[in-house]
Amino acid sequence: MMFAQVLAAEFVKLRRSKVTWFSLAALSLGPLAIALMMWIVREPGRAAQLGLLGTKANLSGLTATWPAYFSMLTMVVGIGGMLLLAFVVAYVFGREYTEGTAKNLLALPVGRHWFALAKLVVAGVWWAVLVVAVLVEGFVLGALLGLGGLSATLAASAVRDALLAAAIAYLLVPVVAWIAMLGRGYLPPLGFALAMLAVGDVLSHTGWAAWFPWSVVPLLIGAIGKPATTIAPVSLVVVALTFVGGIAATIAQLRWADNAQ
Amino acid sequence: MSGEIYGFLGRNGAGKTTTIRMLLGLIRPTGGGVEVLGARVRPGATAPFARVGYLVESATAYPNLTVRENLEIQRRLTRAPRAAVGEAIGLLRLDGLADRPAKVLSLGNKQRLSLARALLHSPELLILDEPTNALDPAGIVEVRELLRSLARERGATVFVSSHILGEIAQLADRIGIMHEGRLIEELDREQLRAQERLYVRVGVSDTERAASALAAAGFARVEQPGDELRVYDAEGRVPEMARLLVGAGLDLTELTTVREDLERHFLRLTGGAA
Repeated sequence: MMFAQVLAAEFVKLRRSKVTWFSLAALSLGPLAIALMMWIVREPGRAAQLGLLGTKANLSGLTATWPAYFSMLTMVVGIGGMLLLAFVVAYVFGREYTEGTAKNLLALPVGRHWFALAKLVVAGVWWAVLVVAVLVEGFVLGALLGLGGLSATLAASAVRDALLAAAIAYLLVPVVAWIAMLGRGYLPPLGFALAMLAVGDVLSHTGWAAWFPWSVVPLLIGAIGKPATTIAPVSLVVVALTFVGGIAATIAQLRWADNAQ
Repeated sequence: MSGEIYGFLGRNGAGKTTTIRMLLGLIRPTGGGVEVLGARVRPGATAPFARVGYLVESATAYPNLTVRENLEIQRRLTRAPRAAVGEAIGLLRLDGLADRPAKVLSLGNKQRLSLARALLHSPELLILDEPTNALDPAGIVEVRELLRSLARERGATVFVSSHILGEIAQLADRIGIMHEGRLIEELDREQLRAQERLYVRVGVSDTERAASALAAAGFARVEQPGDELRVYDAEGRVPEMARLLVGAGLDLTELTTVREDLERHFLRLTGGAA
Protein backbone atom coordinates (compact mmCIF):
# COMPACT_ATOMS: atom_id res chain seq x y z
CA MET A 1 0.00 0.00 0.00
CA MET A 2 1.28 3.44 -0.96
CA PHE A 3 0.64 5.06 2.41
CA ALA A 4 2.78 2.41 4.13
CA GLN A 5 5.66 3.19 1.76
CA VAL A 6 5.32 6.95 2.33
CA LEU A 7 5.15 6.42 6.09
CA ALA A 8 8.23 4.18 6.03
CA ALA A 9 10.06 6.83 3.96
CA GLU A 10 9.09 9.49 6.51
CA PHE A 11 10.53 7.40 9.35
CA VAL A 12 13.76 6.85 7.36
CA LYS A 13 14.10 10.66 7.24
CA LEU A 14 14.40 10.76 11.06
CA ARG A 15 17.56 8.60 11.11
CA ARG A 16 20.57 10.29 12.66
CA SER A 17 18.42 13.35 13.30
CA LYS A 18 19.74 15.31 16.25
CA VAL A 19 16.38 17.02 16.58
CA THR A 20 14.72 13.85 17.90
CA TRP A 21 17.26 13.59 20.73
CA PHE A 22 17.13 17.31 21.36
CA SER A 23 13.35 17.22 21.80
CA LEU A 24 13.65 14.34 24.27
CA ALA A 25 16.40 16.15 26.18
CA ALA A 26 14.36 19.39 26.27
CA LEU A 27 11.18 17.79 27.56
CA SER A 28 12.99 15.59 30.07
CA LEU A 29 14.48 18.70 31.67
CA GLY A 30 10.95 19.50 32.92
CA PRO A 31 10.61 16.65 35.45
CA LEU A 32 14.22 17.22 36.50
CA ALA A 33 13.50 20.88 37.26
CA ILE A 34 10.33 20.00 39.18
CA ALA A 35 12.17 17.32 41.16
CA LEU A 36 14.85 19.84 42.02
CA MET A 37 12.23 22.30 43.30
CA MET A 38 10.62 19.57 45.38
CA TRP A 39 13.99 18.70 46.90
CA ILE A 40 14.68 22.39 47.68
CA VAL A 41 11.27 22.76 49.36
CA ARG A 42 11.88 19.65 51.43
CA GLU A 43 15.47 20.41 52.34
CA PRO A 44 15.91 24.20 52.30
CA GLY A 45 18.94 24.04 54.61
CA ARG A 46 21.02 21.81 52.32
CA ALA A 47 19.79 23.70 49.27
CA ALA A 48 20.95 26.98 50.79
CA GLN A 49 24.33 25.42 51.57
CA LEU A 50 24.65 24.44 47.91
CA GLY A 51 23.65 27.95 46.83
CA LEU A 52 20.47 26.63 45.20
CA LEU A 53 18.13 28.70 47.34
CA GLY A 54 18.44 32.45 47.22
CA THR A 55 17.39 34.46 50.22
CA LYS A 56 14.45 35.86 48.30
CA ALA A 57 13.50 32.66 46.51
CA ASN A 58 9.77 32.22 46.69
CA LEU A 59 8.78 28.62 46.77
CA SER A 60 6.26 29.12 49.55
CA GLY A 61 2.94 27.52 48.84
CA LEU A 62 4.70 24.58 47.22
CA THR A 63 4.69 21.31 49.09
CA ALA A 64 6.93 18.35 48.41
CA THR A 65 4.07 15.92 47.73
CA TRP A 66 2.87 13.79 44.83
CA PRO A 67 -0.25 15.97 44.17
CA ALA A 68 1.92 19.12 43.82
CA TYR A 69 4.47 17.18 41.77
CA PHE A 70 1.82 15.83 39.38
CA SER A 71 0.24 19.25 39.01
CA MET A 72 3.55 20.69 37.83
CA LEU A 73 4.31 17.68 35.66
CA THR A 74 1.00 18.09 33.82
CA MET A 75 1.90 21.73 33.30
CA VAL A 76 5.24 20.72 31.75
CA VAL A 77 3.60 18.20 29.41
CA GLY A 78 0.71 20.57 28.61
CA ILE A 79 2.28 24.00 28.10
CA GLY A 80 5.92 23.06 27.46
CA GLY A 81 4.68 20.16 25.35
CA MET A 82 2.52 22.39 23.16
CA LEU A 83 5.57 24.43 22.26
CA LEU A 84 7.81 21.39 21.84
CA LEU A 85 5.22 19.65 19.69
CA ALA A 86 5.03 22.76 17.50
CA PHE A 87 8.81 22.53 17.22
CA VAL A 88 8.58 18.85 16.19
CA VAL A 89 5.92 19.60 13.56
CA ALA A 90 7.85 22.64 12.32
CA TYR A 91 10.85 20.36 11.83
CA VAL A 92 8.98 17.48 10.16
CA PHE A 93 7.21 19.77 7.68
CA GLY A 94 9.56 22.76 7.48
CA ARG A 95 12.72 20.74 6.82
CA GLU A 96 11.52 19.87 3.31
CA TYR A 97 11.71 23.57 2.47
CA THR A 98 14.81 24.41 4.51
CA GLU A 99 16.69 21.42 3.06
CA GLY A 100 15.32 22.11 -0.43
CA THR A 101 13.76 18.66 -0.79
CA ALA A 102 10.09 19.67 -1.08
CA LYS A 103 10.33 19.78 -4.88
CA ASN A 104 11.45 16.13 -4.87
CA LEU A 105 8.14 15.05 -3.32
CA LEU A 106 5.78 16.71 -5.75
CA ALA A 107 6.13 14.92 -9.09
CA LEU A 108 5.91 11.31 -7.95
CA PRO A 109 3.40 8.52 -8.45
CA VAL A 110 2.22 9.25 -4.89
CA GLY A 111 -0.72 11.49 -4.02
CA ARG A 112 0.63 14.56 -2.24
CA HIS A 113 -1.94 14.20 0.55
CA TRP A 114 -0.19 11.02 1.70
CA PHE A 115 2.90 13.07 2.58
CA ALA A 116 0.86 15.42 4.77
CA LEU A 117 -0.84 12.52 6.54
CA ALA A 118 2.38 10.48 6.95
CA LYS A 119 4.18 13.48 8.43
CA LEU A 120 1.35 14.04 10.91
CA VAL A 121 1.54 10.36 11.91
CA VAL A 122 5.33 10.64 12.36
CA ALA A 123 4.87 13.75 14.53
CA GLY A 124 2.16 11.90 16.50
CA VAL A 125 4.35 8.85 17.15
CA TRP A 126 7.28 11.10 18.08
CA TRP A 127 5.04 13.05 20.45
CA ALA A 128 3.62 9.88 22.04
CA VAL A 129 7.15 8.56 22.69
CA LEU A 130 8.16 11.90 24.26
CA VAL A 131 5.09 12.05 26.51
CA VAL A 132 5.41 8.44 27.69
CA ALA A 133 9.17 8.87 28.28
CA VAL A 134 8.61 12.03 30.33
CA LEU A 135 5.82 10.47 32.40
CA VAL A 136 8.03 7.45 33.16
CA GLU A 137 10.88 9.80 34.06
CA GLY A 138 8.51 11.79 36.26
CA PHE A 139 7.40 8.71 38.17
CA VAL A 140 10.97 7.48 38.63
CA LEU A 141 12.20 10.87 39.92
CA GLY A 142 9.18 11.25 42.21
CA ALA A 143 9.82 7.79 43.64
CA LEU A 144 13.52 8.57 44.13
CA LEU A 145 12.58 11.71 46.04
CA GLY A 146 10.30 9.64 48.25
CA LEU A 147 7.39 12.08 47.97
CA GLY A 148 4.35 11.42 50.07
CA GLY A 149 0.66 11.21 49.29
CA LEU A 150 0.67 8.79 46.34
CA SER A 151 -2.40 6.72 45.64
CA ALA A 152 -3.47 4.68 42.62
CA THR A 153 -6.39 7.05 42.04
CA LEU A 154 -4.11 10.09 42.12
CA ALA A 155 -1.58 8.48 39.75
CA ALA A 156 -4.33 7.40 37.32
CA SER A 157 -5.89 10.85 37.36
CA ALA A 158 -2.52 12.56 36.77
CA VAL A 159 -1.69 10.24 33.88
CA ARG A 160 -5.16 10.76 32.40
CA ASP A 161 -4.82 14.57 32.61
CA ALA A 162 -1.35 14.54 31.06
CA LEU A 163 -2.42 12.24 28.22
CA LEU A 164 -5.56 14.29 27.60
CA ALA A 165 -3.51 17.51 27.47
CA ALA A 166 -1.02 15.81 25.13
CA ALA A 167 -3.83 14.58 22.88
CA ILE A 168 -5.47 18.02 22.66
CA ALA A 169 -2.08 19.60 21.97
CA TYR A 170 -1.67 17.11 19.10
CA LEU A 171 -5.08 17.97 17.64
CA LEU A 172 -3.92 21.58 17.24
CA VAL A 173 -0.75 20.82 15.27
CA PRO A 174 -2.12 20.32 11.74
CA VAL A 175 -2.60 24.12 11.68
CA VAL A 176 1.06 24.51 12.68
CA ALA A 177 1.97 22.11 9.86
CA TRP A 178 0.00 24.24 7.42
CA ILE A 179 1.83 27.37 8.60
CA ALA A 180 5.18 25.54 8.16
CA MET A 181 4.27 24.81 4.53
CA LEU A 182 2.81 28.24 3.92
CA GLY A 183 5.92 29.91 5.40
CA ARG A 184 8.30 27.30 3.91
CA GLY A 185 10.52 26.79 6.92
CA TYR A 186 10.88 26.49 10.69
CA LEU A 187 10.40 30.00 11.99
CA PRO A 188 6.84 30.83 10.85
CA PRO A 189 5.27 27.79 12.59
CA LEU A 190 7.24 28.40 15.78
CA GLY A 191 6.26 32.07 15.77
CA PHE A 192 2.66 31.07 15.14
CA ALA A 193 2.64 28.57 18.04
CA LEU A 194 4.11 31.16 20.42
CA ALA A 195 1.60 33.77 19.27
CA MET A 196 -1.31 31.36 19.79
CA LEU A 197 -0.17 30.60 23.35
CA ALA A 198 0.10 34.32 24.03
CA VAL A 199 -3.35 35.01 22.55
CA GLY A 200 -4.69 32.09 24.60
CA ASP A 201 -3.33 33.74 27.72
CA VAL A 202 -4.90 37.10 26.87
CA LEU A 203 -8.26 35.52 26.05
CA SER A 204 -8.22 33.60 29.31
CA HIS A 205 -8.76 36.88 31.12
CA THR A 206 -11.79 37.76 29.00
CA GLY A 207 -13.86 34.67 29.62
CA TRP A 208 -13.53 33.50 26.02
CA ALA A 209 -10.91 30.87 26.82
CA ALA A 210 -13.25 27.92 26.20
CA TRP A 211 -13.81 29.16 22.65
CA PHE A 212 -10.16 29.43 21.73
CA PRO A 213 -8.42 26.15 20.81
CA TRP A 214 -5.04 27.14 22.26
CA SER A 215 -6.66 27.95 25.62
CA VAL A 216 -8.19 24.51 26.11
CA VAL A 217 -5.02 22.79 27.38
CA PRO A 218 -4.17 25.63 29.82
CA LEU A 219 -7.77 25.52 31.09
CA LEU A 220 -7.62 21.76 31.51
CA ILE A 221 -4.37 21.65 33.45
CA GLY A 222 -5.01 24.73 35.54
CA ALA A 223 -2.53 27.11 33.98
CA ILE A 224 -5.48 29.50 33.83
CA GLY A 225 -7.38 29.42 37.13
CA LYS A 226 -8.13 26.06 38.73
CA PRO A 227 -7.83 22.87 36.68
CA ALA A 228 -11.07 22.19 34.80
CA THR A 229 -12.80 19.00 35.80
CA THR A 230 -14.40 18.62 32.39
CA ILE A 231 -13.81 20.11 28.97
CA ALA A 232 -16.63 22.36 27.80
CA PRO A 233 -18.49 20.94 24.76
CA VAL A 234 -17.75 24.13 22.85
CA SER A 235 -14.02 23.57 23.45
CA LEU A 236 -14.28 20.05 22.06
CA VAL A 237 -16.00 21.44 18.97
CA VAL A 238 -13.42 24.17 18.33
CA VAL A 239 -10.52 21.74 18.87
CA ALA A 240 -12.11 19.21 16.50
CA LEU A 241 -12.72 21.93 13.90
CA THR A 242 -9.14 23.16 14.26
CA PHE A 243 -7.87 19.61 13.71
CA VAL A 244 -9.99 18.94 10.63
CA GLY A 245 -9.43 22.44 9.23
CA GLY A 246 -5.67 22.14 9.78
CA ILE A 247 -5.48 18.82 7.93
CA ALA A 248 -7.59 20.17 5.05
CA ALA A 249 -5.47 23.32 4.78
CA THR A 250 -2.21 21.33 4.89
CA ILE A 251 -3.35 18.97 2.13
CA ALA A 252 -4.70 21.85 0.03
CA GLN A 253 -1.42 23.76 0.44
CA LEU A 254 0.61 20.75 -0.68
CA ARG A 255 -1.73 19.99 -3.57
CA TRP A 256 -2.51 23.42 -4.98
CA ALA A 257 0.23 25.83 -4.03
CA ASP A 258 2.94 26.54 -6.59
CA ASN A 259 6.37 25.33 -5.64
CA ALA A 260 9.06 27.38 -7.33
CA GLN A 261 11.84 26.09 -5.08
CA MET B 1 10.46 10.65 -29.49
CA SER B 2 11.55 7.58 -27.55
CA GLY B 3 15.32 7.27 -27.16
CA GLU B 4 15.86 10.88 -28.17
CA ILE B 5 17.87 13.49 -26.33
CA TYR B 6 16.12 16.83 -26.54
CA GLY B 7 18.26 19.82 -25.66
CA PHE B 8 16.37 22.74 -24.20
CA LEU B 9 18.53 25.77 -24.72
CA GLY B 10 18.13 29.31 -23.52
CA ARG B 11 19.89 32.12 -21.77
CA ASN B 12 19.54 32.56 -18.02
CA GLY B 13 16.00 33.77 -17.35
CA ALA B 14 14.66 32.56 -20.72
CA GLY B 15 12.03 30.40 -19.00
CA LYS B 16 13.63 26.95 -19.14
CA THR B 17 13.21 26.12 -15.44
CA THR B 18 9.71 27.60 -15.40
CA THR B 19 8.76 25.35 -18.33
CA ILE B 20 10.22 22.32 -16.54
CA ARG B 21 8.35 23.18 -13.34
CA MET B 22 5.12 23.31 -15.37
CA LEU B 23 5.90 19.95 -16.97
CA LEU B 24 6.26 18.48 -13.47
CA GLY B 25 3.17 20.15 -12.03
CA LEU B 26 5.25 22.12 -9.52
CA ILE B 27 3.68 25.35 -10.77
CA ARG B 28 0.53 26.00 -12.74
CA PRO B 29 0.68 27.65 -16.15
CA THR B 30 -1.05 31.03 -16.30
CA GLY B 31 -2.70 29.86 -19.52
CA GLY B 32 -3.07 26.66 -21.51
CA GLY B 33 -2.28 23.17 -20.28
CA VAL B 34 0.54 20.65 -20.06
CA GLU B 35 0.61 17.01 -21.12
CA VAL B 36 3.41 14.62 -20.23
CA LEU B 37 3.51 11.12 -21.76
CA GLY B 38 -0.08 11.59 -22.88
CA ALA B 39 -1.37 12.47 -19.41
CA ARG B 40 -2.62 15.91 -18.46
CA VAL B 41 -0.53 17.44 -15.65
CA ARG B 42 -2.70 19.07 -13.02
CA PRO B 43 -1.79 20.14 -9.48
CA GLY B 44 -1.35 16.98 -7.47
CA ALA B 45 -1.56 14.74 -10.55
CA THR B 46 0.27 11.44 -10.22
CA ALA B 47 -0.61 9.72 -13.52
CA PRO B 48 2.55 10.25 -15.61
CA PHE B 49 5.12 10.40 -12.83
CA ALA B 50 5.73 6.68 -12.35
CA ARG B 51 7.39 6.95 -15.78
CA VAL B 52 9.22 10.24 -15.22
CA GLY B 53 12.48 10.97 -13.42
CA TYR B 54 13.52 14.55 -12.81
CA LEU B 55 16.05 16.96 -11.44
CA VAL B 56 15.04 20.60 -11.07
CA GLU B 57 17.67 23.29 -10.68
CA SER B 58 19.88 22.76 -7.61
CA ALA B 59 20.71 19.27 -6.35
CA THR B 60 19.20 18.63 -2.93
CA ALA B 61 19.14 15.69 -0.52
CA TYR B 62 18.38 15.00 3.14
CA PRO B 63 21.70 16.04 4.70
CA ASN B 64 21.65 13.69 7.70
CA LEU B 65 20.88 10.64 5.56
CA THR B 66 23.46 8.65 3.63
CA VAL B 67 23.51 8.44 -0.14
CA ARG B 68 21.96 4.97 0.12
CA GLU B 69 19.22 6.14 2.51
CA ASN B 70 18.36 9.10 0.30
CA LEU B 71 17.95 6.71 -2.62
CA GLU B 72 16.04 4.23 -0.46
CA ILE B 73 13.42 6.94 0.16
CA GLN B 74 13.07 7.48 -3.60
CA ARG B 75 12.88 3.71 -4.15
CA ARG B 76 9.96 3.41 -1.77
CA LEU B 77 8.14 6.37 -3.26
CA THR B 78 8.49 5.09 -6.82
CA ARG B 79 8.02 1.40 -5.90
CA ALA B 80 11.26 0.50 -7.65
CA PRO B 81 12.78 -2.94 -6.94
CA ARG B 82 15.26 -3.24 -4.06
CA ALA B 83 18.18 -3.77 -6.45
CA ALA B 84 17.55 -0.36 -8.04
CA VAL B 85 19.39 1.51 -5.28
CA GLY B 86 22.64 -0.43 -5.83
CA GLU B 87 22.32 -0.10 -9.60
CA ALA B 88 21.85 3.67 -9.43
CA ILE B 89 24.82 3.99 -7.05
CA GLY B 90 26.98 2.02 -9.50
CA LEU B 91 25.74 3.93 -12.54
CA LEU B 92 26.64 7.30 -11.02
CA ARG B 93 29.91 5.99 -9.52
CA LEU B 94 28.82 6.72 -5.97
CA ASP B 95 30.01 3.34 -4.61
CA GLY B 96 32.66 4.80 -2.34
CA LEU B 97 30.23 7.37 -0.95
CA ALA B 98 27.16 5.17 -0.52
CA ASP B 99 27.32 5.16 3.28
CA ARG B 100 28.42 8.77 3.75
CA PRO B 101 25.84 11.37 4.80
CA ALA B 102 24.74 13.67 1.99
CA LYS B 103 25.89 16.73 3.93
CA VAL B 104 29.57 15.82 3.45
CA LEU B 105 29.27 15.39 -0.33
CA SER B 106 30.86 17.89 -2.68
CA LEU B 107 28.51 19.87 -4.93
CA GLY B 108 29.42 17.62 -7.84
CA ASN B 109 28.67 14.46 -5.89
CA LYS B 110 25.38 15.93 -4.66
CA GLN B 111 24.54 16.44 -8.32
CA ARG B 112 25.37 12.77 -8.97
CA LEU B 113 23.11 11.76 -6.10
CA SER B 114 20.29 13.84 -7.57
CA LEU B 115 20.83 12.22 -10.96
CA ALA B 116 20.83 8.77 -9.32
CA ARG B 117 17.53 9.69 -7.66
CA ALA B 118 16.08 10.80 -11.00
CA LEU B 119 16.90 7.59 -12.85
CA LEU B 120 16.49 5.11 -9.98
CA HIS B 121 13.13 3.74 -11.19
CA SER B 122 14.25 3.45 -14.84
CA PRO B 123 11.89 6.17 -16.09
CA GLU B 124 10.86 6.40 -19.73
CA LEU B 125 11.31 10.16 -19.61
CA LEU B 126 14.09 11.98 -17.80
CA ILE B 127 13.54 15.71 -17.29
CA LEU B 128 16.83 17.26 -16.22
CA ASP B 129 17.34 20.92 -15.52
CA GLU B 130 21.01 21.85 -15.94
CA PRO B 131 22.22 18.36 -14.89
CA THR B 132 25.92 19.12 -15.28
CA ASN B 133 25.86 22.12 -12.93
CA ALA B 134 28.71 21.93 -10.43
CA LEU B 135 30.33 18.94 -12.12
CA ASP B 136 34.01 19.06 -13.05
CA PRO B 137 34.99 18.52 -16.71
CA ALA B 138 35.47 14.77 -16.21
CA GLY B 139 32.08 14.58 -14.47
CA ILE B 140 30.44 16.43 -17.35
CA VAL B 141 31.81 13.93 -19.84
CA GLU B 142 30.65 11.03 -17.63
CA VAL B 143 27.12 12.40 -17.34
CA ARG B 144 27.01 13.07 -21.08
CA GLU B 145 28.01 9.46 -21.76
CA LEU B 146 25.51 8.21 -19.19
CA LEU B 147 22.63 10.14 -20.75
CA ARG B 148 23.61 8.91 -24.21
CA SER B 149 23.69 5.30 -23.02
CA LEU B 150 20.34 5.67 -21.22
CA ALA B 151 18.81 6.96 -24.43
CA ARG B 152 20.54 4.39 -26.67
CA GLU B 153 20.39 1.26 -24.54
CA ARG B 154 17.29 1.75 -22.42
CA GLY B 155 15.33 3.79 -24.94
CA ALA B 156 14.79 6.56 -22.38
CA THR B 157 13.82 9.96 -23.68
CA VAL B 158 15.98 12.66 -22.15
CA PHE B 159 14.79 16.25 -21.93
CA VAL B 160 17.77 18.26 -20.81
CA SER B 161 18.00 22.00 -20.30
CA SER B 162 21.15 24.04 -20.32
CA HIS B 163 22.46 27.49 -20.99
CA ILE B 164 25.77 25.95 -22.02
CA LEU B 165 25.64 25.70 -25.79
CA GLY B 166 28.62 23.45 -26.27
CA GLU B 167 27.13 20.86 -23.95
CA ILE B 168 23.78 20.77 -25.74
CA ALA B 169 25.41 20.77 -29.16
CA GLN B 170 27.42 17.68 -28.25
CA LEU B 171 24.58 15.82 -26.58
CA ALA B 172 21.23 16.55 -28.18
CA ASP B 173 19.52 14.94 -31.14
CA ARG B 174 17.10 17.81 -31.29
CA ILE B 175 17.36 21.30 -29.87
CA GLY B 176 14.66 23.73 -28.80
CA ILE B 177 15.71 27.33 -28.30
CA MET B 178 13.81 29.26 -25.66
CA HIS B 179 13.87 33.04 -25.47
CA GLU B 180 11.84 35.38 -23.28
CA GLY B 181 9.35 32.65 -22.40
CA ARG B 182 8.81 31.39 -25.94
CA LEU B 183 10.17 28.49 -27.94
CA ILE B 184 11.59 30.38 -30.88
CA GLU B 185 13.19 27.56 -32.85
CA GLU B 186 13.50 23.78 -33.00
CA LEU B 187 16.31 22.10 -34.91
CA ASP B 188 17.29 18.50 -35.47
CA ARG B 189 20.91 17.45 -36.05
CA GLU B 190 20.69 17.90 -39.83
CA GLN B 191 19.16 21.32 -39.53
CA LEU B 192 21.77 22.20 -37.00
CA ARG B 193 24.53 21.26 -39.41
CA ALA B 194 22.81 23.28 -42.11
CA GLN B 195 22.99 26.27 -39.80
CA GLU B 196 26.74 26.02 -39.68
CA ARG B 197 28.21 28.50 -42.13
CA LEU B 198 31.73 29.31 -43.09
CA TYR B 199 33.07 32.81 -43.50
CA VAL B 200 36.48 34.40 -43.96
CA ARG B 201 37.52 36.82 -41.26
CA VAL B 202 39.60 39.63 -42.73
CA GLY B 203 42.05 41.69 -40.72
CA VAL B 204 42.97 44.80 -42.65
CA SER B 205 44.14 48.39 -42.09
CA ASP B 206 40.94 50.01 -43.47
CA THR B 207 37.81 47.86 -43.25
CA GLU B 208 35.57 50.34 -45.10
CA ARG B 209 37.85 50.47 -48.14
CA ALA B 210 38.39 46.70 -48.04
CA ALA B 211 34.62 46.07 -47.90
CA SER B 212 34.07 48.28 -50.94
CA ALA B 213 36.90 46.64 -52.87
CA LEU B 214 35.61 43.12 -52.10
CA ALA B 215 32.02 44.04 -53.01
CA ALA B 216 33.19 45.57 -56.29
CA ALA B 217 35.11 42.36 -57.09
CA GLY B 218 31.91 40.29 -56.82
CA PHE B 219 31.98 39.05 -53.21
CA ALA B 220 28.25 39.13 -52.57
CA ARG B 221 28.08 38.82 -48.76
CA VAL B 222 30.40 41.16 -46.95
CA GLU B 223 29.42 42.03 -43.36
CA GLN B 224 31.01 44.33 -40.80
CA PRO B 225 30.00 43.35 -37.26
CA GLY B 226 31.89 45.81 -35.04
CA ASP B 227 35.48 46.30 -36.19
CA GLU B 228 35.50 42.91 -37.91
CA LEU B 229 35.14 42.24 -41.61
CA ARG B 230 33.47 38.96 -42.61
CA VAL B 231 33.11 37.60 -46.11
CA TYR B 232 30.61 34.74 -46.50
CA ASP B 233 30.55 32.12 -49.28
CA ALA B 234 34.18 32.88 -49.98
CA GLU B 235 36.12 29.94 -48.55
CA GLY B 236 37.49 28.83 -51.97
CA ARG B 237 38.53 32.34 -52.91
CA VAL B 238 40.98 33.19 -50.11
CA PRO B 239 44.09 33.62 -52.41
CA GLU B 240 42.05 35.85 -54.70
CA MET B 241 40.93 37.97 -51.73
CA ALA B 242 44.54 38.30 -50.54
CA ARG B 243 45.74 39.47 -53.97
CA LEU B 244 42.84 41.89 -54.28
CA LEU B 245 43.33 43.54 -50.88
CA VAL B 246 47.12 43.83 -51.20
CA GLY B 247 46.67 45.14 -54.74
CA ALA B 248 44.34 47.82 -53.38
CA GLY B 249 47.19 49.06 -51.16
CA LEU B 250 45.75 47.73 -47.88
CA ASP B 251 47.84 46.22 -45.07
CA LEU B 252 46.55 42.66 -44.60
CA THR B 253 46.95 41.21 -41.06
CA GLU B 254 44.55 38.23 -41.07
CA LEU B 255 42.62 35.92 -43.38
CA THR B 256 41.00 33.12 -41.40
CA THR B 257 38.24 30.70 -42.37
CA VAL B 258 35.78 30.46 -39.44
CA ARG B 259 32.97 27.94 -38.90
CA GLU B 260 29.90 29.70 -37.56
CA ASP B 261 28.52 27.26 -35.00
CA LEU B 262 25.43 26.89 -32.88
CA GLU B 263 26.66 29.54 -30.52
CA ARG B 264 26.57 32.23 -33.17
CA HIS B 265 23.23 30.98 -34.46
CA PHE B 266 21.88 31.05 -30.92
CA LEU B 267 23.20 34.52 -30.22
CA ARG B 268 21.79 35.79 -33.48
CA LEU B 269 18.38 34.36 -32.63
CA THR B 270 18.33 35.67 -29.09
CA GLY B 271 19.63 39.09 -29.92
CA GLY B 272 23.11 38.80 -28.39
CA ALA B 273 26.36 39.93 -30.03
CA ALA B 274 27.27 37.51 -32.82
